[in-house]
Amino acid sequence: MSEKTYIQLDGVTKKYSRGGEELVVLDALDLKVPEGDYVALMGPSGSGKTTILNLVGGLDVPDSGKVSVADTEVANMPKSQLPAWRARHVGFVFQSFNLLPVLTAHENVMLPLQLTPLSKSERKIQADFALEIVGLSDRASHRPSQLSGGQEQRVAIARAIATDPDVIIADEPTGDLDRSSADEILQILDRLNSEMGKTILMVTHDPAAAASARRLLKLDKGTLVSDQTREGA
Amino acid sequence: MVFPVRLALRHILASKTRNGLTILAITIAVFLLCFLLAVVKGIDAGVRSASATRLVTQSAVSLFVSLPMSYQPKIDAVDGVALSSEFRWFGGYYQDPSNFFPQFAVNQNRFLEMYEKDIEIIEGPDGITGPGARAAVQKALNSDRRAAIIGVGLKDEEKYSFKVGDTVPIVPAIYQRADGGSWEFIIVGIFRPLKERIPDQVMYFRSDYLNTSIESGEAIGDIAAGVYYINIDSGDIGDVVASTIDEEFLNGPQRTQTITEAAFASFFVSAIGNLPLFLGTIGGAVLFSIFFSVVNAMLIAGRQRLKESGILQALGFTPLTSTFLLIFEGLMVALIGGALGLSLAVGTEGLVQDLFGANIRNYKIDSNLMLLALATSSALGITAGLSAGIPFLGYRPTEALRSMG
Repeated sequence: MSEKTYIQLDGVTKKYSRGGEELVVLDALDLKVPEGDYVALMGPSGSGKTTILNLVGGLDVPDSGKVSVADTEVANMPKSQLPAWRARHVGFVFQSFNLLPVLTAHENVMLPLQLTPLSKSERKIQADFALEIVGLSDRASHRPSQLSGGQEQRVAIARAIATDPDVIIADEPTGDLDRSSADEILQILDRLNSEMGKTILMVTHDPAAAASARRLLKLDKGTLVSDQTREGA
Repeated sequence: MVFPVRLALRHILASKTRNGLTILAITIAVFLLCFLLAVVKGIDAGVRSASATRLVTQSAVSLFVSLPMSYQPKIDAVDGVALSSEFRWFGGYYQDPSNFFPQFAVNQNRFLEMYEKDIEIIEGPDGITGPGARAAVQKALNSDRRAAIIGVGLKDEEKYSFKVGDTVPIVPAIYQRADGGSWEFIIVGIFRPLKERIPDQVMYFRSDYLNTSIESGEAIGDIAAGVYYINIDSGDIGDVVASTIDEEFLNGPQRTQTITEAAFASFFVSAIGNLPLFLGTIGGAVLFSIFFSVVNAMLIAGRQRLKESGILQALGFTPLTSTFLLIFEGLMVALIGGALGLSLAVGTEGLVQDLFGANIRNYKIDSNLMLLALATSSALGITAGLSAGIPFLGYRPTEALRSMG
């Protein structure tokens, strides 16, 4: 892990309006994540965990404060440039996998690669490689409905890493899985971090998942209440 | 913008029932559109093919009131008139009322000259064809008062199969014979119409056969001309010639109304109601209702794709990608339906002509109609896709990802 700060949130505030009432989800939050770190975010519902992921991934913008990733101010980036930036720098893994059911596993992984300048044959090689990393080369032609939950999430991880992004954003990646499948996913994420140097930001309610991260951040009511680094990490 | 073609194609194939039914609806709509427009165009073709240098003089009271034979010399004497001929509706049938085709009594000395550019004589007496056929038919017309010429459709249609030399009995509906029998006509020539307004199942015979039969008491009726067809020297003088003729007969036994051949042809179209408007309205209504069902189908597809839009945006695609996916799907579905409807219309062209040939003349699915059908289908699909796809642009990625669709 490098000492260079890769993800930085400075005084980030995010509010939502629900039923006419203003809800402060993030309250002047400061956060620094070095390059290659593996961070687990925990906290009760509504504490702002997923909002942090959305802000870092450029899916949402803060009401105030700065969000920068790899020295790029994400919140100030023109809307038209954000998708391309996301494709280059961020890979998303969702709790409910979010694979496109009409495409095969291989086609799902190929999808973000269309946004790269790679040739068709290079894209295929890259998708094959991503599926190999998650151990699903033999399921490449299967549709999501023909896969187990654990396999679906592995395909989702393959899709997230296919374009070789710097950051993996995982929103409760083990939330819909049984223990054995969840452990497989955590092993894969651990390898992506330790062997491939991916910076991982993971929201979880699963103590086992949190334990697999190097660093554990606890949030409550939009503020950071605890920041622990795992011993030996 | 990068467009995921495979995803677009998979969506079309994934929703087989919905897209299949939408394609079926568009197929029917486009077929109906082609059919109705071809009928309308067929009707219009008759009007459009009317000669610019021909007038028709009819009674100012009604088309069904015949003008006197005595008008002809006065019409001929009007400046700008090149040639005129009486044109009288006979209204008989061959053997059975279901075997009806129009018959007209015309001036045998003038008719072929007047219709020089309107019909082509393809067969005359003794099997003569080619350039000499017209003169041979004229000679035959002059030699026998029962002589008649027919359109080629009366030769080709199996139930008639008339040929040159045949004696054809026509049962009268208006001009009864004193002996209660049929009129007999001898076919001396067969022609092919060169203008859409002239049917190919029609008979022209000598008006003096009718008039002398009435005069001698062989038949019952009035000696009259019906209407006068008038060739004029130039289309530019049509208005002047028409008003001169009508002024001439202002105080005559029958006041006249002289109009262009196109206006005369239009009269028959309007006589059966404004058929083109009626058919056009039906076609438009069908298309309009199908349009809403296609939009509805695409809106359902759109609602189911909102989450996909969020996923695609998370992967790095723009919100426009999802909009274009729906436009593509709408366009493809509409084009498939349109192509099938068009194929059905083209494929049944012969059948429609066989079934309704006498009633729907000039029915043809031409290239303009094909282009219109495909353009209409495309517009339908694109509009439906836009209706479903534009709302995507208003959602933030996080909202789209949270949706259930």
